Amino acid sequence: MQLALREMRRAKTRFGLLIAAVALLVFLILAQQAIQTGLITSFVGALREQSAPVIVYSTDGQRALQGSIVPPPLEAQIRGVEGAAAAGRIGQGTFTVRVEGDDDLSDAAIIGAEDRSVGGIEEVDEGRPVERPGEAVGSTGDFEIGDRVQVVAVGVAGAGEGPVLEVVGLVRGAQIQVTPTLFTTWDDHVAATQTVNPEAPTVLPNAIGLRPEDGITAAELAARVNDLTEEADALTRDEAAREAPGVAQVQQSFQIIFLLFALVVPLVTGLFFLIITFQKSASLTLLRAIGIRGGALVRSLLVQVVVVIGGGLVLGTLLYLPLTRVEVGSLVLRFDGAAVGVWSALLLVLGLLSALVAARRVLKIDPYEATVGGGAR
Amino acid sequence: MRLALRELRRRPGRFGVATAILTLIAVLLTFLGGLLDGLEAGSTGAYRAQQGDLIVFADGAQTSLVRSRIEPEVRAQVEDAVPDGAVGGLGSAQLGGRLEGRGPRDLVGTVVFGYELAPRGLPDEPPGPGEVYADDSLRSEGVEEGTVIQLGPARTELTVVGFTSDAKYSGQGTLWGSVDTWRQVLGENRPSAAVGEGTVQALVVAVPDGADPADVAEAIDEATGGATETLTIAEAIDALPGLAQQRQTFSQIIGVTVLIAIVVVALFFALITVERTALYGVLKALGARSATLFGGVLLQAVLVTLVALAIGVGAALLLDAVIPAGSLPFAVTSGRLLSSAAALLFAAAVGAAFSLRRVLRVDPASAIGGGA
Repeated sequence: MQLALREMRRAKTRFGLLIAAVALLVFLILAQQAIQTGLITSFVGALREQSAPVIVYSTDGQRALQGSIVPPPLEAQIRGVEGAAAAGRIGQGTFTVRVEGDDDLSDAAIIGAEDRSVGGIEEVDEGRPVERPGEAVGSTGDFEIGDRVQVVAVGVAGAGEGPVLEVVGLVRGAQIQVTPTLFTTWDDHVAATQTVNPEAPTVLPNAIGLRPEDGITAAELAARVNDLTEEADALTRDEAAREAPGVAQVQQSFQIIFLLFALVVPLVTGLFFLIITFQKSASLTLLRAIGIRGGALVRSLLVQVVVVIGGGLVLGTLLYLPLTRVEVGSLVLRFDGAAVGVWSALLLVLGLLSALVAARRVLKIDPYEATVGGGAR
Repeated sequence: MRLALRELRRRPGRFGVATAILTLIAVLLTFLGGLLDGLEAGSTGAYRAQQGDLIVFADGAQTSLVRSRIEPEVRAQVEDAVPDGAVGGLGSAQLGGRLEGRGPRDLVGTVVFGYELAPRGLPDEPPGPGEVYADDSLRSEGVEEGTVIQLGPARTELTVVGFTSDAKYSGQGTLWGSVDTWRQVLGENRPSAAVGEGTVQALVVAVPDGADPADVAEAIDEATGGATETLTIAEAIDALPGLAQQRQTFSQIIGVTVLIAIVVVALFFALITVERTALYGVLKALGARSATLFGGVLLQAVLVTLVALAIGVGAALLLDAVIPAGSLPFAVTSGRLLSSAAALLFAAAVGAAFSLRRVLRVDPASAIGGGA
């Protein structure tokens, strides 16, 4: 043990370089994990934060809120489902808006809910929920409380002024489609839609939010709606977020990247210790010849592996920490303690496993070689 | 140099682990690049297919096709601004499509485009009412010539009369028909987005020969009194939502991966150089120059990297061939493979350069016991 640590102190550059390499890899893995989480939250955070335990799309919507249109006959069927305590229209559109005081136009997704308890925001992180038309709860980081946001009509001759929404509350991680998001009333959503397209004969809901009666789970209520008609696609809140278009693809792509990185870390560590063992073979043979047991040498090796991987993990996490306090574009990255824990354990185990080749070589050393110079080979 | 090559031939196992790590890094680089290109190709095909030079959006639409509306009066102003060019309307609608024989919940994601100026691979005259050309990515969904696709909640029927290629948009296969067909599909299925006769979402403009597209774009926006925002096709692609951020994120990951490759090569060859210190001392005592010895290290690094690259590129091509269509946005392009190869070779050269100092420091006297 002492020998292992002393060797590391003496060869600071060599071990420092390896710790730096492991730290870089750990940083990259954690950063990508944060980007993946941030990306998915930006895609579907609004679905997770809204209040309806069940969201019913039209099958044609393919589980995209803005892509779904619920025609009146389907709406009537959904509202009539047994076991629903409350039902409300949900509408979503992406609009060009102007925030009062800003010269530039910007994008905003506006989600309107007929009943705040089934599709709106009930709990805010700052401010208060929407209480009347003309108010909105905004996604944190994109809006400030007190902001007045006006919908702008685009390319439409004779279009009137769009509705002005005052931000009265903020909720974290509540974007949809990576766009600043405002939760408001159904009436304001209709007004916004008609502002940008006065020719629209009617504004239909994009989805219907449902709350189950006591004693019925959200999954059971969703199943009842799906049994009712093939035109409806009812999902629980979690399913709606998980199965939104693009989410699975993002996860799949990142998983392949994670797998490749997870392989690189033990290979780099394994390579390093294998080479070190080759280089030290003469000294190791000598140590064996003076009575040091193979197990003790292997323990020294494993101590070094733990120090290197542990050092890399600590450094990598320290590099990752400031990244989770900044915004990358419109992505909000958060420190994920669970991800740090899981990856630390995984990389430590893989690192120790990778050192087994070097350990095998150490155990194979024959003390007799010291008398004939074979250890130096 | 010959010595370096001979060592590689005689003791390939010594370089095996480094080659394995670099191969993984090469696979990572080509995979990340392929993913980026696949995502971009799937988002931008409909714009890249345009044979015009400019796309005219309504001002304030933030270059979003679905939010843009160009009414007939504005179109007339644009046409007046480019009397010798060609102007055609463009409209889009994203809808789920039903195919015969598939389950009621098994829909195909499509984007219906209405066009007047033919994109690449399509006839000048748009097909008749209710007829469309399909992007060939939809073949994997079972779409064939003559297939009838029922679109949206209104089940608007469109018949596929032919195919075009590399024209995906927003990650989905596209259907190309006349502007009237698009208006009908939009009106029936997206009543809140319906547009009147003569209204389109955007205009595609082919500038006259010899004219500078940027100048024409400026002239158009001036002629419409700022009611339009005209972009070149390349600018319109760059302005697609999320594309720039996507490129930035992937470029950063690719950059750090190259940095890791540099560290791996540096680490490996630094250790090999340490191991060879005595040998280098002898070679220097025999008259070998430092440059020759370092050249050997560099050559080995480059050769190991080339082997890794060959496997990495092969893996990327294999992945491209085996990934089921539509499952993962992945595209292999020669440009991306070449840039990945160049990046990794650069990393190998820089990594190997870390050994230069050690090679230079080797004292020939160490060969005769003068201390290394």
